[in-house]
Amino acid sequence: MSDPLLRVERVSKSYGDEQVLREISFEMDRGDVTVLIGPSGSGKSTMLRCVNRLTEVDSGEIYLDGERVTGPDVDVNELRRQVGMVFQDFNLFAHLTARGNVMLGPRQVLGLSKEEARRRADEQLALVGLADQADSYPAELSGGQKQRVGIARALAMEPKLMLFDEPTSALDPELIGEVLEVMRDLVERGMTMLVVTHEMSFARSVASEIMFLDGGRIVERGPPEQLFERPEHDRTATFLRRITQLHS
Amino acid sequence: MSEPVADAVREGETATRTIPAGRPLVVLAGGLFWGWLLLRWLNDWLGGLFVPRGEPFVSPEAVEALGAAVPALRGLFDSTAFAVTYLPALSAGVWLTIVLTATSIALGFVLAVPLSVARVYGRWTSYLSLAYTELLRGTPLLAQLFVIYYGLNFVQYVPPLLDGVFANNAVWAAIVGFTLNSAAYQAEYIRSALLSVESGQLTAGRAIGLTKLQAIRYVVLPQGLRFAIPGWTNELIYLIKYSSLAAFITVPELFQRTNAIASDNFRYTAMFSLAALLYLALVISASRLMNAVEDRVAIPGLGARGR
Amino acid sequence: MTGVELPPIALQQASDWAFVWENSGYLFAGTALTIALTVASVLLGFFVGFPAGVVEVYGGRASRGLVETVGVVLRGTPIVVILIFMYFVFPTPDLTIGVLGVTASLSGAFLAGVLGLGLRSAAYQSQIFRGALQSVDEGQMEAARSIGMDKLASIRHVVVPQALRRSVPGFQNEVTIVLKDTSVVFAIGLAELLTRSYDLFVVRTTAVLEILLFASAIYFVLTFTTNRALDLVSARYAIPGGESA
Repeated sequence: MSDPLLRVERVSKSYGDEQVLREISFEMDRGDVTVLIGPSGSGKSTMLRCVNRLTEVDSGEIYLDGERVTGPDVDVNELRRQVGMVFQDFNLFAHLTARGNVMLGPRQVLGLSKEEARRRADEQLALVGLADQADSYPAELSGGQKQRVGIARALAMEPKLMLFDEPTSALDPELIGEVLEVMRDLVERGMTMLVVTHEMSFARSVASEIMFLDGGRIVERGPPEQLFERPEHDRTATFLRRITQLHS
Repeated sequence: MSEPVADAVREGETATRTIPAGRPLVVLAGGLFWGWLLLRWLNDWLGGLFVPRGEPFVSPEAVEALGAAVPALRGLFDSTAFAVTYLPALSAGVWLTIVLTATSIALGFVLAVPLSVARVYGRWTSYLSLAYTELLRGTPLLAQLFVIYYGLNFVQYVPPLLDGVFANNAVWAAIVGFTLNSAAYQAEYIRSALLSVESGQLTAGRAIGLTKLQAIRYVVLPQGLRFAIPGWTNELIYLIKYSSLAAFITVPELFQRTNAIASDNFRYTAMFSLAALLYLALVISASRLMNAVEDRVAIPGLGARGR
Repeated sequence: MTGVELPPIALQQASDWAFVWENSGYLFAGTALTIALTVASVLLGFFVGFPAGVVEVYGGRASRGLVETVGVVLRGTPIVVILIFMYFVFPTPDLTIGVLGVTASLSGAFLAGVLGLGLRSAAYQSQIFRGALQSVDEGQMEAARSIGMDKLASIRHVVVPQALRRSVPGFQNEVTIVLKDTSVVFAIGLAELLTRSYDLFVVRTTAVLEILLFASAIYFVLTFTTNRALDLVSARYAIPGGESA
């Protein structure tokens, strides 16, 4: 069994005249942590959204666990059950408590009983360190806490793959650490993760592969040491220089 | 990340407010409607400029004859002939409906501005204003008209100067009723618009040495009144429709005339469809007009349309 | 223009306020009809207006166009014209409903009143719900879809609960508008509060003002109570820490 968990083949996508993704191809094995970096508008988030089909590809194929997920006959709800997503601006359900947010999917999609769903939710909340905030509503939580609930909500579906769309970009600097820590835990537990982020030290310490996207193409890819220390392309070097200046 | 989004999931969630029919069609219909109304009024006021007073411009028999010639469209021509017969009588009602609405909304506005300013910035006057708006908004308009017309027998107080402006002095009772009622609603709209003006604006006005009243007059009101336009448009449309209640105190506006003719010829469906169309035309015209006004007075950066 | 049934009016000589008092039972019976009309019309308006609002936001082009067009007509026509239309164009027979030995007769005028007020209210309620649904952030829908909920379940479990809370102020306003507009069924002679007041004061013309003030006071109490009651509902379902419902 050497089938990769995720295989992206020549995926292209454009909005009107603007081509956002140009023939992107890559693969991820189980347990891989792939980090997408690149300037705004380079197509990173679109790539992520194509994987769980919040955005439809124009051409190309995506396979999850050997099964094609692009194409009209695919059950997108079944696909999304297997692929968790964490959003930049959290998107917590505003009318539900932290526990309610995590329970909703197991209840409505997996069809668990209320007790089972509740047990699972409390487990997941404990794993992200929020056992004591289970009854709080989103508006009563800090940004970092909200994002941890967002992660718990996605994990409660027991996904095969987790997508992180700039999970710390909307956070105050002092709250970023707690979210990254939860993500590091996940890496250690062997979760397969596709991450869009500007947190370079995080990327460097956990990524199995880093891909630099610019203008809808993968400009350069490789293990973190290679990309950070010996970038082959000028554009990669320039981008990395700028972003490290910005964040130091 | 500012990547463009437009895909399957989001599709249809942003219902754009589009005009159902084509725009040129709407403009054409509007032009026909207002052109006809103006000619009609001119004709009838000037004692039969084109045709005798109250007579249709086109004879209904001619329209019916056309229908006989084209049997497939007979129903359409018959309806048109019916409309042609009764529209002249209704056009006078439309005039009174417009007069009632325009006068009352204008006079109501004059009352509403001090009412809302008192409510927002006054001390004990704010309670007076609150009591007024709550009472007027808490009771039915028709009951208010009854109080003025039957209860106070308002017609006997119409001053000699105004006596005879309208054939029926009940029109004045209706105008007073609509004005008092509309003032309360307009005051609410203006009040919330005033509250949406940043409080720093008033402070900044005071800081350059304006009195409180001056700061309200020259700084807050010019901004607040612009915010109030959408609500005010609503009120105008309400008033066009609710002016029909004047019929119950004998004012021969559009609804009253329709009803009078219908109880004579018993063609309720046709007559009230006709009236509904005329009201719709007035309402749509008013909302278009106010949209244009709103665009016209928009300030960059202020309000929804100012951007 | 009003109904012809003669009210059982007390005609003893007394002061005008005493006259109002003697006939208060007659007016309160009218008040009961006013309340019944309001409740029935608001409910009809909700059960038609809420789906209409959903269609306006999530529906296809054709269904949306239909709902919007009907809405424009109903919102652009005076309520009195709509009521007359319902009364003369779709005449409903008088109905007698018997449930568990209790029979209630619904006159054709009552049904016309409920249909007219209810459908007109539906046209306004659809706008309230449309606005509320659209005000829910798109990210909420995306998040729901991202955990594998289908579109209908996402609307039902995520968007609607939030939208309903945001609809309360608009709904509150709408209820009081319907309540006040029940007085317009005067046009079709339904013996609610204002019609009964009219019937009273044409009999005793010296007491016109007294009767009307009494009726107005009842209306005011009704609108005031409704508003406070819905304030309580709003507070009860407010989301902690969030915007007030």
